[in-house]
Amino acid sequence: MVTIELYGVARLRAGREVIELDARSLGEALLGLGATCPVLEPSIVAGGRLAPGWLVALNGAQITADPETPLGDGDVVVLVSADAGG
Amino acid sequence: MGRGGFFGRYLRVDLGQKRAEHVPLDEATLRAVVGGVGLGALLLGRETPPGFDPLGPEAALVLAFGPLVGTPLTTSAKLAFVAKSPLTGRISDGLSSSAFAIAGKRAGVDAIVLVGAAEEPSIVLVDEAGATLVPCPELWGRDFAISEASERLGQAYPDHRFAVIGVAGERLVRYAGIANDGRHAGRGGLGAVLGAKRVKAIGVRGIRPVPLADAEATLRIAKDLARRSLGPATEKYRSLGTVANLSTFNRLAALPTRNFQASTFEDARRIEGEALHETRERGRGSCKSCTIGCEHFFEVRPGQRPVKMEYENLFALGPLCGIGDPEVVLRASSACDELGIDTISAGGTIAFAMECAEKGLFPAGPLAEEARDLVFGAGERLLSMLEDIARRRTPLGDLLAEGSRRAAEIVGGEAPSFAPHVKGLEIPGYEPRALQTMALGFAVGTRGADHNRSGAYEADFSGKVNRFEPDAAEAAEHAVAAEDRAAVMDSLILCKFLRRAMDDFYGESAEMLRAVTGLPFEAKDLVEAAGRITLVRRLFNEREGWTPAEDTLPARFFEEKLPGGAAKGAGIDRARFARSIDAYHARRGLDERGFVPAEVAREMMAWMGGKYR
Ligand code: SF4
Repeated sequence: MVTIELYGVARLRAGREVIELDARSLGEALLGLGATCPVLEPSIVAGGRLAPGWLVALNGAQITADPETPLGDGDVVVLVSADAGG
Repeated sequence: MGRGGFFGRYLRVDLGQKRAEHVPLDEATLRAVVGGVGLGALLLGRETPPGFDPLGPEAALVLAFGPLVGTPLTTSAKLAFVAKSPLTGRISDGLSSSAFAIAGKRAGVDAIVLVGAAEEPSIVLVDEAGATLVPCPELWGRDFAISEASERLGQAYPDHRFAVIGVAGERLVRYAGIANDGRHAGRGGLGAVLGAKRVKAIGVRGIRPVPLADAEATLRIAKDLARRSLGPATEKYRSLGTVANLSTFNRLAALPTRNFQASTFEDARRIEGEALHETRERGRGSCKSCTIGCEHFFEVRPGQRPVKMEYENLFALGPLCGIGDPEVVLRASSACDELGIDTISAGGTIAFAMECAEKGLFPAGPLAEEARDLVFGAGERLLSMLEDIARRRTPLGDLLAEGSRRAAEIVGGEAPSFAPHVKGLEIPGYEPRALQTMALGFAVGTRGADHNRSGAYEADFSGKVNRFEPDAAEAAEHAVAAEDRAAVMDSLILCKFLRRAMDDFYGESAEMLRAVTGLPFEAKDLVEAAGRITLVRRLFNEREGWTPAEDTLPARFFEEKLPGGAAKGAGIDRARFARSIDAYHARRGLDERGFVPAEVAREMMAWMGGKYR
């Protein structure tokens, strides 16, 4: 089981802060996220990938957009906008 | 001179002599530095002698417009206030967007330069014919809120648009800002520069249309840009505004808390943008000529006027001071705007004082007495401290009005090691240990710790570098690239929130400039201009005493590790950071110590008009 945390626009749109699902890679987690929250498709997640301007911080630390990134039980995927400025 | 965008002259106002004259600007100069912060830096160097006092009569305050101001391009209603900062002793350029910018440009000038000082408190009225000085005893020393002073000026001179200082500017608070139309050129104390000139406000009246070399092309580009400005790249700004950063930064352990002692805040949930949006949002607004509209207004208390809030205000007056009460943070932000002080420097300096107070560092006597209840989380005390600072009305208020660097030098002991500044400018809301490419951007910034002139955090948030331990050369590359893009945006001038809506930044910028000015700008010209603008600023700083030792961070960031959250244990390695700085200097074309090489300086000064070194 992995946890996806939503922030900013993604949280606003989805109306949820946290989603839990089974996934072995970031791509699988994003597919699951899109299926659970279709409002995030396609401008935030698009077919198992992140849309431009979006990233995840794996367990809050390592920042990536690579769908091949492996995930294990208990991992936390923090979905963030890359426009963290101003 | 081209056929549009520029007027090819600036208005020089000598306040002491009560004289104004138009000074020509040639096309080559304007092409070389574009406008905005580039032109402002150039004119500041030209108009001042080496080593001048930023609060003395030899100081100059430059109001520089850009070639795109007054055109139909979205977010183009901006101007740059440029001066030597009384907080840092280095160059400072504060930008703001407003109808003031358009009216100023339409007075038929590319810039207005104020030199000298008025004999008595005055306002300066500028129009096509020149400038007039009008004494304003009814406005000076009266403790008016900025909104009230602006309203009175508007009633007295309905044809003019005004840039105004508050109580803090009159009292020479070293981080006083300049307000126009509710926007603030906040950083670096430019309001004190105006206050020292005994100028309460600058009023501009302009009716001359800004000429467009190719009006059809300009309109086509403007329409396309406006359409793109409403796409997904700016959704964050439209739906939540910059306050959205707070929860994300807290999760990523990049949220400066309790004067940078931590990077996560236990009360973040109460003040995060999402929560404010849900419970308190009462409307949106925008700067003049902007299609994005990132301003969000939040309710303080029912029946009271809602308050505009940005991430930088929120972090500085909230977590940085240990405060998690949204009402206090909103009131504090509004107080800073009405008193006319920079929120980041105010929050940073008070947070620093809170740490000093908690550690018992204030010398026994009035300072220690006054600081007794200045503890992290003391919301009402924060509010009264802001008033004390803006009016310099108590010993501690007077001390903190000097900024954290000067205050730390006076407090002594270990205080300078945790005073949260670079070159005297308080650090914005990006924890350097958790965002180490940004840490480099802060250290080398010509204005000091600066999130507007360096957007190197974009590299940290991109996954392209390890944000806790970036490779020195890569960090330098990103820091230069981000600084260059900012230099061009701030010279055009367009709002940075447009940046992701542009696919080919330099190419599209050149296209806009060609359409507006009729001059043959190409992408490569703007890449060159970006580097040149940074060098002009560095030359100015060198002339004013900059040394390589200033390109650094406070000791805390090297000596203390972050205590918790996703960045737990992160610290900055001194040796690696020094290598990043060397790599930055090399990539910028500076010599091994970080100075502009003599031959480059000579060549630049030949066309800049001398006096830079
Ligand atoms: S995006 Fe925001 S800051 Fe930029 S011009 Fe528009 S309203 Fe002003």
